[in-house]
Amino acid sequence: MPAERAGYTVTMFLVDLSPSMGTTRSVELPPDANGDQHPAEITNLEYGLQFVKLKIQEMIYNGRKTDQCGVIVFGSEETDNIVNEKNGGYEHVAEYIPIGQPNAGTLAKLDALEPSSVAGDPIDALVVAVETQNAYLASKKTWTRKVVLVTDGESPMETEDWEAIVQKMDTLDVWLTVVGVDFDDDELPFYEENKSSIKKANEEFLTQFASSLRTGIIGTCALALRETTKPDIKQTKSTLMGTVLRLGDTDTRPEEAFEINVKNSKCTAMARAKSWKKFAMRPMDEEDGMNEEDRQAIYAELKMRTEYFLDPNIGQDDDDDVKMEVEEEDKNKALEVVEKEQLIRGFKYGSTYAPCPDGQFPRLPTRRGIDICGFFKAKNFRRELSMGEIQYIWADPGQPQQQVALSSIVQAMIQKGYMAIARWVTKDGMDPKMGVLSPVMFDKVECFLWAQMPFADDVRKYTFASLDRLINKRGEVITEHPYIPTKEQQVAMDNFVDAMDLMEAGDKDEDGNRQPWFDTRLSYNPAVHRVKQAMFHCAVVTDIATNPLPPPHPELLKYFDPPKRVLKYAKDAIAECQATFKVRQVPKRVAKQRKDGHVHARYDDDEMLLLDKKPNTNTQGATQSPTQTRGAQSSPKGKAKETNPPDSETEDDESDSEMLLDRAAPSKAEPPTSKKPPSNHPLPTPARSLSPDPARAPGRIIGAAFPLNDFRQNLKSGDLVTKAVEDLSEVIKETVVKPFAMRRKAELLECMGALRETCLKEDEIDAWNSFLQDLKAVCTSSPGNSAFWSEVQKHDGTLNLITKLEAKKHGGLSLISASEAQEFFS
Amino acid sequence: MPPYDDWNRIDDEEDDELQDDYLEAKRDVILFCIDCSESMFEQRDDPRYEPGEVKTCHLQTALEAAVEIQKKKVIVGPNDSVGILLFNTTRKTEVKRSDTTEIKRHTYIYQPLEPISAPKIQEVMQLLDAARENPDELREAFPPLTGKKVPMGDVFTSCNWVLRDGAPKTASKRIFLITDDDDPHSGSGSEQLLRSAKTTLEDLVQTGVTVEPFFISTDEQSFDVSKFYSQVLPNGTTDGEEDEESSTLPESISITRIDDLLAQMRFHEVPKRALFSIPFELAPGLKIGVKGYGLVTEQKKGSYKYFVDLGDSMELVNSKTRYVDEGTETDMDKSKIVYGMSVGATVGDDDDDMSAIGTRAVQAGRRPFYTAEEIRSFRTLGLEPTIKLLGFKDRETLLFEDNIKHSNFIYPDELTYSGSKRTFSALIKSMVSKNKIGLVLTLTRRNATPTFCALLPQEEKEDDAGWTDPPGFHLVPLPFADDIRAAPIEEACRASDELKDLAKAWVEKLAVKNGAYPPDSYPNPALAYHNAQLQASAFREEFDAESFEDLTEPKVDVMHRRAGKLLVAWKQALLEDDSASIVPVTTGSKRKADVNVAEAEIRSKWESGTLSKLRVDQLKEFLKSKSLAVSGKKDDLIQRISEWMESH
Repeated sequence: MPAERAGYTVTMFLVDLSPSMGTTRSVELPPDANGDQHPAEITNLEYGLQFVKLKIQEMIYNGRKTDQCGVIVFGSEETDNIVNEKNGGYEHVAEYIPIGQPNAGTLAKLDALEPSSVAGDPIDALVVAVETQNAYLASKKTWTRKVVLVTDGESPMETEDWEAIVQKMDTLDVWLTVVGVDFDDDELPFYEENKSSIKKANEEFLTQFASSLRTGIIGTCALALRETTKPDIKQTKSTLMGTVLRLGDTDTRPEEAFEINVKNSKCTAMARAKSWKKFAMRPMDEEDGMNEEDRQAIYAELKMRTEYFLDPNIGQDDDDDVKMEVEEEDKNKALEVVEKEQLIRGFKYGSTYAPCPDGQFPRLPTRRGIDICGFFKAKNFRRELSMGEIQYIWADPGQPQQQVALSSIVQAMIQKGYMAIARWVTKDGMDPKMGVLSPVMFDKVECFLWAQMPFADDVRKYTFASLDRLINKRGEVITEHPYIPTKEQQVAMDNFVDAMDLMEAGDKDEDGNRQPWFDTRLSYNPAVHRVKQAMFHCAVVTDIATNPLPPPHPELLKYFDPPKRVLKYAKDAIAECQATFKVRQVPKRVAKQRKDGHVHARYDDDEMLLLDKKPNTNTQGATQSPTQTRGAQSSPKGKAKETNPPDSETEDDESDSEMLLDRAAPSKAEPPTSKKPPSNHPLPTPARSLSPDPARAPGRIIGAAFPLNDFRQNLKSGDLVTKAVEDLSEVIKETVVKPFAMRRKAELLECMGALRETCLKEDEIDAWNSFLQDLKAVCTSSPGNSAFWSEVQKHDGTLNLITKLEAKKHGGLSLISASEAQEFFS
Repeated sequence: MPPYDDWNRIDDEEDDELQDDYLEAKRDVILFCIDCSESMFEQRDDPRYEPGEVKTCHLQTALEAAVEIQKKKVIVGPNDSVGILLFNTTRKTEVKRSDTTEIKRHTYIYQPLEPISAPKIQEVMQLLDAARENPDELREAFPPLTGKKVPMGDVFTSCNWVLRDGAPKTASKRIFLITDDDDPHSGSGSEQLLRSAKTTLEDLVQTGVTVEPFFISTDEQSFDVSKFYSQVLPNGTTDGEEDEESSTLPESISITRIDDLLAQMRFHEVPKRALFSIPFELAPGLKIGVKGYGLVTEQKKGSYKYFVDLGDSMELVNSKTRYVDEGTETDMDKSKIVYGMSVGATVGDDDDDMSAIGTRAVQAGRRPFYTAEEIRSFRTLGLEPTIKLLGFKDRETLLFEDNIKHSNFIYPDELTYSGSKRTFSALIKSMVSKNKIGLVLTLTRRNATPTFCALLPQEEKEDDAGWTDPPGFHLVPLPFADDIRAAPIEEACRASDELKDLAKAWVEKLAVKNGAYPPDSYPNPALAYHNAQLQASAFREEFDAESFEDLTEPKVDVMHRRAGKLLVAWKQALLEDDSASIVPVTTGSKRKADVNVAEAEIRSKWESGTLSKLRVDQLKEFLKSKSLAVSGKKDDLIQRISEWMESH
C-alpha cells in the first residue's frame, strides 16, 4: 500500500435512518453560567450524526479539494442508488449527498435528516457505498477509499456472502470504520445493559466483519466523539529547497574555495490557529415571519475593504493629541476619499517625505547561497540570541560526493566543538541573514542546523540596575539592603530549586527509570487545538448559548501545572521561601495621594535609615529641611495643574530663594527641631477661636502645656488633622529635650500613643514614621534624652514605626518593612 | 514586502506582530541639553585621529553625536521629536513664537522640539562642517558665558518649558544632559543652587520626564558625581514613582570619555519600554512582580506609505478598514461582529441557493457564532497574564533546535510586589550555581496565547566594551509538538576519517579563539543600504552605491591566506574519494530516460552555442544538480545554464 497522502481521499458516510434511531437519549450538557447541569434529550440519530458532522467539519477546515465525501442513508423511505437502478434490490438505500468537497451546505443537509418508518440493512448500504465510490474513482486509482458506517445495530441484516464483500473491499483497498451507537467497547469502557438479542448478534457480526478486513475498525460512538477532540498533529513534510554552502572566493580563487550543493528544510515552523471569519447578523425584517418559530436570523460573512482618504487636519495633529481626540468626530466628516490609483508610494523620513514609486529602493546586490564566515567554540553560543525558526541543511540527497563533503565538515566541527557563523541569501538579490550553523550527527546522516542570529540593529541594549551592587548617594557600596538576599534567603531558594527539579519527575521508561517531565514533542499548542475545537463546535451546533463548547481535551492541559508529586515534595521548601522572602503585593496606588511635605521628606529619611549608624545624619537632615517645606507648598499646585506644574512655581523662583535665606536665619537653639519654622507657615484658620494658651507657640494649634487635650480637641473638630499631627509631633520633640522632661515621661508616651493611633487611622502614616525617626535622632544626639528613647523602645508593639503590613491592615501605605522596624528599635 | 493592504490589516489574532507596532506607536521625545561653558570649547586631540593631527572640542563631538542619534531615530521612529538646548551661552533665543514661553537667561534653544526632518539634520551638519574648517565657528555661534555658570535649576526649568511646549502629551520624554563640569556651583551660595536644582529636577521628573546624564570625563579631570550630581539626581525610577526604598544612584548615569559618547548614547537611544508587567508565580502562594523587555527583535525596514500629489505638495494618505456585508452592501459596526468558521467552498451549482453563499441562517434568537470575548478565552484557555514556574531542568536540556522565535528578558518589579528583587536575585544565583534552567508557562498579555518557555538565568557581567550584561532571565519560547518537523532525510554517504581530518585542519585555521557570534560586528546590510538611500533621497543627494560597504560579507582574503592550502588538500582528497563513483539509488517506480549528461559535455555545448540541442529534461537535470531553479521554458533554462557557466 502506498503511503497515505494528505487529501486524495473519498469518504463515504453511511447513516442509519431506521426507526430505532429515533430513540431518544439523555446527554449531559456542560454546566451553564450558574454551574447548573442541564441534560438534553436527543435522538440516537442526532447523536450519531455529531460524529459524521465533526468529521466533515474537519474536511471543511482543512479545505482540500482532494478530500471529498458522500453520504448514503439506509432505512430511508425512498430508494435511490446506482446498484438498484442497474440490478434492482437494495431497497431503502439512498444516495443522499453525492461525492464532492463538503461545505456548510453539507452540514445543513445532514441536520435535515430524520428517522424513518422503515428498517434498512447496513450491508446493503455498504455494497452501494463501495460501488458508488468505485464508480466515482474509476479514473483516480491512487485515491484512498474510506467508508464510515453509523448504526445502532437494531435492524435485521442480510449476512449471507459477507466474505465475498470483504474480499471485494480488500481488493479495492477500502478502509472501514464502524461507529456503533451504544456498542460495547472495552477501550472506553462501555457496556450496554439489557441489550436486545438482535443488536447483540449484529454487534458480533460487525466486529467479525471489520476484523476480517485488512483495514477495518469498530468502536462505540462515545469513544469516537471523544477522539475527535484529541489534539492531532498535522504532519507537514517540509519541502527541500536547493541552495549552496560556500566557503571562500569561488570567483577568483576557485581552487582554494568550495561550493557544496545543499538542501534546506524547516526543522521548526510555527503552527498557528486558523483565523476566524467575521460575521454579523443582518437586520431582521419586521414584516416577514410574524410567527416566532419561522423567523430566521441570517448571519452574513463580512468582507474587509480598505479605503484611502486624505485628512486635511493631518498637519496639525502632531502637536496636540488631546485636541485631536475631541475633534475626531468633526474630522471624519472632512475626509476626502482618494482612489487607490491616484496614490504614490513613498517613505517617511521624519516629517519629510521621500517618494519611492516602486515601493522600495534598489536592493543590495547579493548572491544566492550560504557563506561560511568563520568558526567559534560552541560553548560560547548565546542561546538567548537565537531569533527564529530552525532549518536543517542537508547535502543534496542525489549527490554522494556532496554528502561526503558535508559529512566531513560536520564531523570535523563536532570533534573540535565548533559552530560556524554564516550568511544566508535565499535568492539572488534577497536580503542577507546572519546565523549560526550547528553540526549534527544522526544515526546514518550528518547535517547542519541553522539558527538565525541578530544583526547589530536587532539587539536592544537597555540598561538595568544591578541587583547585587547597590551604591548609595555617597558612592559607597551597600552590602545589606532589602534588595539583596540574605544567606538564610539564599539557602531557602537553593532548597526550593532542588525540590522543584523535573529531571526525574516524568513517567517511567521500560527499565523503570523516571524520565524528565515535559517533552516538547508531546506538548500540544493549547490555543491552536482549542480554537480548532471551538471552530468545529460552532459549525455543527446552531446555538452557542444553549450548547456551549465542551471543555478542552485533557491532553491540552497536561503541562499547565507542575507535577503533583513534585509540588507535594516541595511543600516545605515553598513554605520556607514564603516565610523568609516575605514578598508582599503592593496595593494599587490610590490616585488621590497626598503630596505634601512628608512625601518629599522621605528622600532624606530613607538616607538616614540606610546610614543610621553614621553620627552626622542630623546635620544632613537639618540643612535639607527647608527644601522639604518648600516642596510642601509647591506640590499641591503641581497636582492641580498637571500639564504645567512647574510654571507657577518657577516664576516665583527669586522670591523663593529669598525665603530660603530668611528661614535659615531665625533657626532656633535646638537645631534639628526647626522643621516647620512657625513664623512663615501659612496657618490654616482654626474653625473656632481657641483660648490663648500661654504655652502655645505662635502659629500652633497644640500647646506644650496640655498637648494631649489640645490634640483631642482638634481631632474632634476634624478638619485640621494634618496640622494637629504635625504640631503635636513638634511639641513632643521640643519637650523631650527640655529640662526635667522625664517627669512628663508618662504623659509624653501617652501623647505618642494617641498620635500613632491617629496617624494609622487618618492616613498620616508617613508623618508618624518620619516623626519617630526625628525623635530618635533628637534623643540620641546631644543634648538629647537617651533615657526617654529607651522608654520608647520598651513599647515595641505600640510605638514602633508603622510597617507595611500594619499599614495595609488599615488601608494605608508604608515603606517600612518589619525587619527595618525591628532594626530601628534595637 | 507585503502589499499595502496586508500589513495595514489589523488582525487581532496575530499577537506576535503587535509587539512591534506597540513599540512604534508610542512616540519618543529627546531633548539634548548640552553645556556650552569654556571647557566644552577647549580644543583637544581628536582620539579618532593621530595625536596632534586634528583637534576638536567636546561641544563638536556632542553635537555630532546628537546628529547621529537623530539620523538613526528618524528612520526607526519617523514620528519622534528631537530638540537641542544649549546652556551657559550668552546667545539669546531669537525665534519667538507667540506660544513659546521665554526661557531662562543663558540657556538657548538651538533647535526647538519638533518632529525630526531632513532640513533640521542638515542644519546641524552644515554647522559642524563649518566648525571643522574653522575651529572658532562654534565659539562664535554660541559664545560661552564667562566667569560664572547658569544655575542648573534654571537649566532644568528651561528644559521643562521646552518639553511642555513641544512634546506630545503621551510621548516618552527624555533629556540627554551632556556636560563635562562635575561641580557647576562651587563657592558661595552653592547650597541654595544645589537645592533649587534638586527641586526643579524633581518637578521635571514628576511630569514624567527622564533625565539621562552623559558626563564627560577626561584624563586630566575625571568626573566626580558625588560633588554635585549625586545629590541632585533623583532615584532610578522614571515615571514619577518615588516609592523605591533605595537611595541608590539612578541606573542610567553614564560617565564616559568623549570618544565613547556616541556609543553610550546608542545604549540609551531606544527608550526602555516594558512589553509586559505581570506576576511571576514561583509556586502556589509565592508570587513576585516582573517586567518583560524585548532585547532581541528583528528591526525591519519601515513600510512604505501612500501619498497623493496635490500639485504643490505631497500629502500622506490614511487608510481605514471597513467590514462589509457583500450581500446587502452595508457596513457593519465592529461591536456587532461575531466570529465563526469559514463556510467553506461551494460544491458546484447543484442545489445551493446562490444568495445564501457566505451566510448561515438559524432560528431567530439563536447564535451559532462566538463573541470576541469568547474567542479570546479559547486562545488563552482562561488564563490570566502570568509567568508560572513548572520546575527546573538541567541546562543541557535546552537544545539548539528548540527554538521558534526570539526570546524576551525579565527583570524584577519591586513596585508591584515588594521583595521581588531579593527573591529574583536569589533565584538567579541558585539556578546559575546548580546549572539549571526553569520551565515556565507564560501568558504575557491578555490576547496572547499560552506558551511554554525555558527560563535561562543570566548573571550580571561586564564585558570589555564597558557594556554590562544585565541580571535577569531570558524567556526562550519552546516549540510545541505542532511546530516540530521531522527530518526528511535519514541516510546519506558518510565521510572517511581521512577526509574528516583534512577538513578539521582548515576548520581550525578559520576558528576565532574564544570567540562567539558577535552581533555588534554585523549591522544589517540590507537595512543600511535602504536607509542610506532613504536619507540621500530626503537630503536630495545622489546615493553613492559604490561607497557602500557590506560588513557581513565573509573576509575571504584572510580566509584564503590562512586556510587556502589546506582547502586545496581537502578538495583533492574529496575528488579521489570513493563516493565519486557511487551512483545514487533512484527511487520511484517510473523509469526515466537517461537524463544524465556529463558536465563537460554541457560545457562544450555551451561554448559552441548548441545547448538547445539538449532535451528539456536533460537541461533540468543539470540545473537540479546545481541546485538551481528548473522552472520556465526551454529558453529560460538555457539562459540559466549559460549564466552559471559564465560564473563558474
